[in-house]
Amino acid sequence: MTPNCTRAALSLLVAMVVAGRATAQQADARLERLDAATRPTVAALLDSARTAMLPTEPLVQRALEGATKRASGDAIVTAVRRLAADLGHARDALGSTASPAELTAGAAALRAGASQATLAQLRHARREPLTVPLAVLADLVASGVPVDSAAAAVLGLAAQARDADLVEFRRAVERDIALGAPPAAATAAAATAADVFVNAGARQQRPGRP
Amino acid sequence: MFNPVDDAVERIARHLRRPVQIDPALDGRVMREISALPAPGRATLGGEVWRWLRRPHQFTLTPLGGLVAAAALTVGVLLYRMASTPPAPPQGESRAFQFVLVAPRATHVELVGDFNDWDATRTPMRRTGREALWTAVVPLVPGRYHYAFFVDGSRWLADPSAPVARDEDYGQPSSVLTVGGGS
Repeated sequence: MTPNCTRAALSLLVAMVVAGRATAQQADARLERLDAATRPTVAALLDSARTAMLPTEPLVQRALEGATKRASGDAIVTAVRRLAADLGHARDALGSTASPAELTAGAAALRAGASQATLAQLRHARREPLTVPLAVLADLVASGVPVDSAAAAVLGLAAQARDADLVEFRRAVERDIALGAPPAAATAAAATAADVFVNAGARQQRPGRP
Repeated sequence: MFNPVDDAVERIARHLRRPVQIDPALDGRVMREISALPAPGRATLGGEVWRWLRRPHQFTLTPLGGLVAAAALTVGVLLYRMASTPPAPPQGESRAFQFVLVAPRATHVELVGDFNDWDATRTPMRRTGREALWTAVVPLVPGRYHYAFFVDGSRWLADPSAPVARDEDYGQPSSVLTVGGGS
C-alpha cells in the first residue's frame, strides 16, 4: 500500500469514527433528568435498541418514570434493559412490521406471562392492530386471571371483536372479579357473552339470504 | 581506395533493387486470411467496466477527500437505516381522555405518565366542585400508557378505576390506559 493510500485510509477511518460517535451521542435531552452515572448506561441501551430497530420511546419513558419516582440508578438500568429485551421478544413473535404501540403492548403481555406463541397466534388471527388485544391480555393477567385462560379468551375473540368489544370484555371480567367471582370463571363467562355478542354483530353485517 | 564494406553494401543494395516477381494469388490469400479472423465486437459499457475492474489501479486521496467520503458514507448509512425502519402504521387521531381522582385532603395533584415524559410540572390536575374531585384532560393517540397521580409532591396513587400496572422495578403504583384505534 502506498503512503498516499495509507494516509487516505487513516483519514477515512478517523472520519468514520468521529461521525459514528457524533451520531451515537445525539443524546435525548430528556435523559438529563437521570443522574450522571446512570445516563451513559441508559444512552447505550437506547443505542443498542436503535441498532436493533426497536422503538426507543418506551425505553425513554421507562427511564423517566424511574427518575420521577426517585428510583436508584441500578433499578432504572434494570428496568430499561428488561423492557428492551421484552420489546425484542415481542418483535420476534409479532414480526418486523409490528408498530411501536403493538410492541409495547406485546412486551407487557410477555412480561405478564403470555408466551411468544400466543402473540404469534394473535398476529395470524387478527388483521387489525394488536395493541388492544395484547393490552387486554396483559391487564387480565394483572387482574389475577390465569395466563392460559386469558390467552384462550383473547385468542377466541381477537379475530372478529372490535377494540371496543375487547375493552368491554376486560371491564366485564374485572367487574365480576370485584364482585367475588374466581378470575378464570369470570373470564370464561365474559368470553362466552362477548363471543355471542360479537358473532351476533357479525351475523347482522352479513348479507341476508333471499 | 578499395573498401570491402562499401563493396558489400553496394552488392546488397543492388540485390534489393532488382524487381521481384510476386505470386499474383498472394493478395487473394491475404484477404482470405483477414476475413477469417474474428471480427472485433462493438465496445459495450459493461465490457469496458469489466475490463476496467480487471486492471490494477492506484488511487490517491487527500485527508479532505477522505473526510468527504466518510461523511458521504455516514449519510448513506443513516439514510439506509431510516429507509429500512419498518413503517409505523398510522397513529390515528388523538382523543381527549379525562382523568379523575377523588382526593379530599390533597392540596395539589399532578398527573404523570408516558404521555407527558413523567414530568410532574406538565399536567397539574384541577380541583372541581366541593367534593375534591381532581381532573385533567389529555389528548392521546392509540397506544398503551402507564400513568399515576402524584399527590402533594410526596405520595403516589394508582387510578382506582383503571387496571394496575405490574411493576417489579420501581415499587410505586401505576395504572394502565389502553387507547384503541377507534374500531
